[in-house]
Amino acid sequence: MIEAIRIGLIVVAVVLGLFFTFVSATGVIRLPDVFSRAHTASQADTLGAGFALAAVALTLGWEPTTVKTVLLLVFIFVTNPTAAHAIARAAYEEGIEPWTTGDERR
Amino acid sequence: MSDRDGSRPDERLDGRLDSDGVARQRPVYSESQVIMTTVKVVIPFVMTYGLFITFHGADTPGGGFQGGAIIASVFLMIAFAFGIESTREWLANSLVVGLGTVGVFIFGAIGFGPLLLGGNFLEYTRYEPLLGDLLGLKEYEFVKYGMEAVEILGIAFIVSGVLMGLFFALAAGYSPSTDSLAVTGDRRDGADTATMEDTDD
Repeated sequence: MIEAIRIGLIVVAVVLGLFFTFVSATGVIRLPDVFSRAHTASQADTLGAGFALAAVALTLGWEPTTVKTVLLLVFIFVTNPTAAHAIARAAYEEGIEPWTTGDERR
Repeated sequence: MSDRDGSRPDERLDGRLDSDGVARQRPVYSESQVIMTTVKVVIPFVMTYGLFITFHGADTPGGGFQGGAIIASVFLMIAFAFGIESTREWLANSLVVGLGTVGVFIFGAIGFGPLLLGGNFLEYTRYEPLLGDLLGLKEYEFVKYGMEAVEILGIAFIVSGVLMGLFFALAAGYSPSTDSLAVTGDRRDGADTATMEDTDD
């Protein structure tokens, strides 16, 4: 019973991870400017990688490797949004105006 | 962020002009609190990881090159978070260059030592008759520890020093000294000078 629940959770986490990574990739290709791309690349991608790593941790079970996976997850959650923040800040500092409705795609 | 929406416009204009010649209502760049905090939190872990990769290079995946790159990335992160100029002042240029030079020297010394002892380049076991009793190592152990010495004292030093040096050289920017090289300029500078000339006229 517990095993079935675990496998179910793994499948759900993998599917959610794939979904959010797909959303992130689509956003990076389709969104119009630097700021919106940075936002999708940080948010959706962090969630996708988080779900994928959670699935890995569930698959491994109680093992030393699981600790490393969870550490990796924590660091992705901390650093990925910070990187996007740094990119967006640098873009703003360079004088790039944020895209508004009706503007040309860049 | 409150300092972004021009609450103190007078003292925070950065003097650049927009495309329509109006002084931009942008604050002068200040270091981001978010990036500084994250870097402070992450640096000890990254440094430990880099050293682990370096020291474990002989019998696990990794090695001097990868570990040296991670160690250099610590200093790149510091530069991103706290400003490149202040990091350049804090991290002496002679230290960065010296790291690479010392690495090359140690690699060469360990590599050419066996040649003097009558062996081939990097043939670590040639050190055994000379240092075996002193260090208490058997012949086959010289292969492992010789490789470790080259990885840690040679390659890791070289890679971290050269990567830091390349980063600071890139961050310093490129200013063409002769006219023949000045084909492409920075886009923003070009726009700025154009508008400046317009307003002068």
